[in-house]
Amino acid sequence: MKADALYVGKEIPRIDGLDKATGRAVYSVDVNLPGMLYGSVVRSPFPHAKILRIETSGALRIPGVRAVVTGKDFPFLFGALIQDQPFLAIDKVRYVGEPVVAVAAETELTAQEATDRIRVEYEGLAPVFDPQQASAEGAPLIHEHLEDYFHSDCQILPKTNICSLHAYSSGDMDLGWKESEEIFEDEFFIHAVAHSPMEPHAAVAQYGPSSEEFTLWSATDRPYRLAQDLVKALDISFDKVRFISTFSGGSFGGKGALVAEGLAVALARFTKGRPVKVVYSREEELTASQTRHGALVRLRTGVKKDGTLVARKANVLWDNGAYCGFGPNVARRGSRTVFGPYRIPHVELISHLVYTNKQPGGAYRGFGTTQMTWACEAQMDIMAEKLGLDPLEIRMRNAYVEGDLYINGQVLRSVGLKETLERASRAIGWGKSESRKSGTNVRGKGLATTIKGTSTPTDSACFIEVAPDGAITILSSSVKIGGGQKTVLAQIAAETIGVPLSSISVPNPDTRLTPFDFGVSSSRTTYHMGNAVRRAGEKIRERILEIAGEILATDPACLKLSEGKILKEGAGEQLSLKALLAKKFGSKGGTLLEAGYYTPEKSSLLEAPPDRKGMSSIFWMFATHAAEVEVDTETGRVNVLRIAAAHDVGRAINPVGCEQQIEGAVILGLSNTLFEEFKLEDGRVLNNTLADYKIASTLDIPKIIPILVESPHPEGPFNAKGIGEPAAAPTAPAIASAIFDAVGVRIKELPITPEKVLVALREKGQR
Amino acid sequence: MSVSIQLEVNDESYQVDVEPGTTLVELLRERLHLTGTKEGCGEGDCGTCIVLVNGAPVNSCLMLAVDAQGCRVTTIEGLATDGKLHPLQQSFIENGAIQCGFCTPAMILSAKALLDHNPRPSEEEIKQALSGILCRCGSYQKIVEAVRAVSGRVDPLRGTPGQPD
Repeated sequence: MKADALYVGKEIPRIDGLDKATGRAVYSVDVNLPGMLYGSVVRSPFPHAKILRIETSGALRIPGVRAVVTGKDFPFLFGALIQDQPFLAIDKVRYVGEPVVAVAAETELTAQEATDRIRVEYEGLAPVFDPQQASAEGAPLIHEHLEDYFHSDCQILPKTNICSLHAYSSGDMDLGWKESEEIFEDEFFIHAVAHSPMEPHAAVAQYGPSSEEFTLWSATDRPYRLAQDLVKALDISFDKVRFISTFSGGSFGGKGALVAEGLAVALARFTKGRPVKVVYSREEELTASQTRHGALVRLRTGVKKDGTLVARKANVLWDNGAYCGFGPNVARRGSRTVFGPYRIPHVELISHLVYTNKQPGGAYRGFGTTQMTWACEAQMDIMAEKLGLDPLEIRMRNAYVEGDLYINGQVLRSVGLKETLERASRAIGWGKSESRKSGTNVRGKGLATTIKGTSTPTDSACFIEVAPDGAITILSSSVKIGGGQKTVLAQIAAETIGVPLSSISVPNPDTRLTPFDFGVSSSRTTYHMGNAVRRAGEKIRERILEIAGEILATDPACLKLSEGKILKEGAGEQLSLKALLAKKFGSKGGTLLEAGYYTPEKSSLLEAPPDRKGMSSIFWMFATHAAEVEVDTETGRVNVLRIAAAHDVGRAINPVGCEQQIEGAVILGLSNTLFEEFKLEDGRVLNNTLADYKIASTLDIPKIIPILVESPHPEGPFNAKGIGEPAAAPTAPAIASAIFDAVGVRIKELPITPEKVLVALREKGQR
Repeated sequence: MSVSIQLEVNDESYQVDVEPGTTLVELLRERLHLTGTKEGCGEGDCGTCIVLVNGAPVNSCLMLAVDAQGCRVTTIEGLATDGKLHPLQQSFIENGAIQCGFCTPAMILSAKALLDHNPRPSEEEIKQALSGILCRCGSYQKIVEAVRAVSGRVDPLRGTPGQPD
């Protein structure tokens, strides 16, 4: 850490703020191309049915209709891990809302009218909605030929609905149970919720009939991954797919898969080169995009009387919905976090990901960690209570510290966990007795903690180019989804190279021009792309000083670049970068261009026994949320008064950006926990508007106290780690913990509705 | 059968032919190319399409373009004057009130409408005034701070600075 940092660690307003505050930022819904057609989609009204016949002639007769496409016309399957999903249903439908026929027309209205004229005949099949029933013997098969799908990185069970099985163990369970003085068994449920970004899914696709190239304009957070999904699905080469990124009106994981993109591509293939735009309605967004995976978690945990954890067996059942997407990865990487940020010598995990006839699950901020944290932390409280321990005390007793071994044997570095526990709890006055009751309202405090790794190893690359006037461009495929990615990368570049922040621009990605990046996911951009930018920046700085050395006839080792000025040791400013480049290039022009590439693959930090190294993460993030709530015992209503959220970020490159992530995630977590739930009837989502599917507004927010803990990471750019994903994980269990403290009832099934609280209060009263 | 209407948008007058079913947000985005106004639901639930009609915040997805006949409409594109940002735009940028930015235009315009008639609102009044706009990034706390930061600087007699009316 440089003491004289000019940009790193500073509260710098985001560099894309001006475009966003003036309405100039172009989002996917704003893309408008010459000759553009509009898409509309016929969706399945049934959760599970055979398609007998599709009659499209009525639609084709409408003037202005340019293409009508069915699954038979575009018979391809896509999927990041299991290629199980058709662009348009083929032979059968597997959830209400599944795309069946797509239409492209001159206007949006014409496209919608045309879809109304399409007739589809179905023959109903028995649906299955509950993952327990779906995984039972004799359940209706949702994918009859699971074994025929191309799949990687997951274990499928043919002739069942189980699309991914993951088992892990470490230590000796028999010994673990023997050494335990108390054993607790509990079951927890966490529900599916909608991503519901304010910008719905949207994409424009264009197909070049002679080049056979698909170009997409989309707000996806993973342009290269989606390009890869298309390459695999259509069996074409990489140079035939190009993603041009727009600004994104929010993703939360939901824009990391082919959603509107897939439909736009299927249509564009048949519109003779004219681009096609597909924009999801809010109803489609809520019913036919993706959801957070619901999960049922059974925990058996053995402890010593002093609260020391000895053994845990976890059985996790994930509700996958109709198609996989990132499901198998969520189920594998997410499930492991069920052991929490604690030393447990003996652990065993079994996780099943099960198809159901519902909207597909997808990556959702936290990637499974949120679900597991709910179960892990709720049980920590149950155990603390039975053992007569304070919830803070039991966590401090077991919390990972620097140098501890993770469950796979990796040595943990940059562990600020205990500091997050101490500072979050202190911020809400933990342990201080205060007046708890006023009228029917009772106050209580609770806390919860979490651990989250990043997908490892994954790669990021960038180019940094310096124009002859000193303007610097970072060419990177890190999409700007709202987390301040542009600003952080510009800060790292400005600091590393030694130039003003204002001289740096970060254009939106274009996979034909900007190099590979795994994606803006897994809280990885600051660390991975930040490292790539730092490496490219170091080369650029060296190159500039080398040129300065030549022009000034000085040893470059005596020169320094600071704020765009060439300084000489003991002699001060010699000339500006602009003047230097003018001398170097003259009127003929020229460029300085360097590449930065980062992968943690060879890092010694990942060391672990060879068969378990795949579980190592290049960095681990820790967080604690402490909540104070007020429960109305008359109505069951829970009012969250304040949440202190302490996050170990390694080093905050931009503290405001970190606070935004924390505050936003607390609100997301609170909204998911108290307000949101899909109301389903025969597989149909009944609450398909934002009036009925309530998300938090300004009137629902508690006082949020963001706290940044900085335990420097040895290989992070300026010691930074990540922040985006773990931020929402501890909110739900912290609120539940505070409810118990207030009124003594334990909610084990999310969401926490007033009805559930009232029922629990009544049951408690009767005991 | 289209209808000819006249309206003023961001101090420029427009005469356009619109279909009776065309909404104001469609007119602004598709005909006048003012895409700073966003449509998040088309049902009046999310508030991201809010613009000011004669100074008052309106969900432009729920208003027919023909009803804007003779009205004065302000969108986010019309807020900066002479290349100078409106203090609310500046404050949103400086106070970290912008994440993905999709709700930002509606938030800023609604805050302007509030400050224009109530230059020193309480925190509760700010929250009430903005409660019709959803922000999934959860920027609410910093948005309220950004509005408060401006409210102290407003001349109660002259309305929000930069807006002579």
